Amino acid sequence: MSEIEDTFLIQNKCGLHARAATILAQLAQQFNATITLYQGDKEAPGDSVLALLMLESSHGKQIRVRCQGPDAEPALHAIGELIAQKFHEDE
Amino acid sequence: MKLSSIINKDCSKAAVLFNSKKRALEYISELASQHLPDHNAHEILDAFLTREKLGSTGIGKGIAIPHGRLKGIDSIFAILVTNQNSINFDAIDNRPVDILLAMLVPEGDNASHLKTLAEIAGKLNNKEFCKQLRQAPNDDALYQVIQLQD
Repeated sequence: MSEIEDTFLIQNKCGLHARAATILAQLAQQFNATITLYQGDKEAPGDSVLALLMLESSHGKQIRVRCQGPDAEPALHAIGELIAQKFHEDE
Repeated sequence: MKLSSIINKDCSKAAVLFNSKKRALEYISELASQHLPDHNAHEILDAFLTREKLGSTGIGKGIAIPHGRLKGIDSIFAILVTNQNSINFDAIDNRPVDILLAMLVPEGDNASHLKTLAEIAGKLNNKEFCKQLRQAPNDDALYQVIQLQD
């Protein structure tokens, strides 16, 4: 089983707020992979909006994403893209 | 943050009967307008619906956190409603919703909004708390569950 991780910078102005967390969780659910996000000493399963909100990831925070499973690589790539594209938000 | 610091006793309603998302948001807007004299129910409903159009606030596990930004309020105002029958809310997990924690937040101030969301999420992520909310038979009991969690 492949396992891969990377760290991304939260760049959108509002951070990982409810809508961004929902988009991320919806994306995470599309992959056959266990996705976990880490920030400081907190961690959250990628498919749980509540847990993602609890990370309180604001603009400028570094977030580590670990993906395990058959789809680990495309999952990490897609999540990295979403974060880099600021969750498709207009600012 | 204490939930009881953002939810008035009059703004926790147990076992309400709605049959739709729209009706639930109308009820919450009407209730909110009674406590926010500078805003009418229509304006508040608009704030909720504007946000829902961007994507459902049904965040899974039967929970929704409808919210909207309002000009002229200086602190977050929240309403907690449990519904007797779960309603379709286009939630992320397609599960119908029976716990609605609605929030009206001041414009701007992203950092503080994120912190409040994180704290509320922490409480709603507690399965036992949600179970007690669902089981509360009346408004007083519901508010007691909120206070005990604080």
